[in-house]
Amino acid sequence: MRRWPWQLIAGAAVLAACAGLALAAPLFGNPNHQDLVHALGPTGLPVGPSSKYPLGADLLGRNELVRLVYGIRVSLTVALVSNATSIVIGAAVGLLAGYFRGPVEQLLMRFTDIGLALPYTLAGLVIAAVMSAGITRVIVIITVLFWSYPARLVYGEVLRLRGRGFVEAGEAMGSGGLAIVRRHLAPHVTSMMIAYSPLNAASAVAFEATLSYLSAGINPPTASLGNMISDGQTAISYAPLLVIAPGLAIMALTLAFLLVGEGVKAYNPDLRRLSWLGR
Amino acid sequence: MARALTRRLIFGLIAVIGVITLAFVLEFVVPGDPAKAIAPRANSSAVLANIRAQLHLNQPLIVQFADYFGNLLRGNLGTSYVQHQSVTSLIGPRLLTTGVLALAGVIAEVLIGGALGILATLYGRVRALVGAINLTLLAVPIFVLGLLLLLVFGFRLGIAPVTGGAGAAQLALPALTLGLIGAPWYAQIVADQMQDSLASSYVRTAVSKGLSDSYILRRHVLRNVLSPAVTMIGLDLGSYLSGVVTVEVVFVWPGIGLLAVNALHDLDRPIVMGTVIVGAVAVVFFNLVADVARMFIDPRTREEV
Repeated sequence: MRRWPWQLIAGAAVLAACAGLALAAPLFGNPNHQDLVHALGPTGLPVGPSSKYPLGADLLGRNELVRLVYGIRVSLTVALVSNATSIVIGAAVGLLAGYFRGPVEQLLMRFTDIGLALPYTLAGLVIAAVMSAGITRVIVIITVLFWSYPARLVYGEVLRLRGRGFVEAGEAMGSGGLAIVRRHLAPHVTSMMIAYSPLNAASAVAFEATLSYLSAGINPPTASLGNMISDGQTAISYAPLLVIAPGLAIMALTLAFLLVGEGVKAYNPDLRRLSWLGR
Repeated sequence: MARALTRRLIFGLIAVIGVITLAFVLEFVVPGDPAKAIAPRANSSAVLANIRAQLHLNQPLIVQFADYFGNLLRGNLGTSYVQHQSVTSLIGPRLLTTGVLALAGVIAEVLIGGALGILATLYGRVRALVGAINLTLLAVPIFVLGLLLLLVFGFRLGIAPVTGGAGAAQLALPALTLGLIGAPWYAQIVADQMQDSLASSYVRTAVSKGLSDSYILRRHVLRNVLSPAVTMIGLDLGSYLSGVVTVEVVFVWPGIGLLAVNALHDLDRPIVMGTVIVGAVAVVFFNLVADVARMFIDPRTREEV
């Protein structure tokens, strides 16, 4: 029995804690409740940390901690859903292109090239411009922009496996195309994608925050870590916590996903060559 | 080598044409009436019909696409709905401003990342620390780091300007932000390549010939870092030129990213689409430049696809 790498344990612990907070979010209170009497001081500026407002209040007199917990909920939902959609689409494209070769390969891989040539943030803004704000918009944008990199990874892996005779061996044994994909290629590709998905999820958390910060993702009043920062940044000189708290929450989430990724690589040495260098 | 390059060039062109097609589809096919965006207060349908006719919006889509594409080839990206100027003339100067920031950012990340990588390889004791710094920097979203730097150096220490603009003093913090965000990748490349070559037979030969450590480091070890680093620099120049959007927003640096964000708020689609097309061209172009540069530096890559 191999020991679990510490990175995996640490990352998973942080993620579990965040997931617990996200599930328990309604117990914290209403994220949109404005308390104009207690949360805003006599000059109209938000109060600092206290027992009722552990992270202070935001500029509209809402409880920053409650909004933070709801923001983590949004981040985790986006990370889980868009990670799954982008990886499933990417892996399917890569597998099909690598297995079928010829015109299918050309068509799929040229599409992948288009995906890789898209300037991320600008393309995100373009898609945002034609959709209405909300979590669906964020998931669509991340899926559209994130499937091409795993497609390229999987395609490369399938070509490598072909070079090692996996496919010919399957064909020689009389297996059909789908059986070869399922029995000989998919297992390798699956472990590769499991190793890649923490990194993909970390990027998704950061990108959701970026989109919402640019008002191209989830718009107020729904709390998201990114739009909390853009709301709070006007107050950065006198209430820096409104930027620092959601900023640290994003970092904790991405760092936890990255640690899980490092842990998976440490657990399975075959995957070590998959460094986080690929972006 | 020429064949490999031609292949890359063709793939790059296909990718750019794909992005243009996507931009067109999003601009013209998706619901939303450009005539309304141009003249939001126009009540008479005659005025709106007139604008539509001027934009050829009453033509079949395929004709519109041919027009759009033909205009693009002549460097015409259309006219802004809100500012009523040609998109090319709006993007041009912004691209230059972004270019200055991109270049400064690449220089910063090469210096910071290179230093971290060399330190981690040569001094075993700091390796874990450099690893921790790398992982932390990887986890910070770029706009959060920018705001934190602005808070510390601008508001608390008062040594950096807190007002936006494209001056020399305003360049320091955004360039530092890009440098810190990009540094882990360079640190990793430098450390990997150095470890490989330090363990190689040619370094052993050099040592046994009695060459000095610093000579071996310069001539044999760091040289090998150059090839992957150049590829990375090319990728970064392309992606930074395509708009370091969040950095420009945080520091109000008037580049193409800030232009795109403001256009998004104004529902000024031609500008948003124009910046994406220019951005995609920048990405593809600099990838190609990086490939060519790498083939010159490292003969081994000339035969690869």
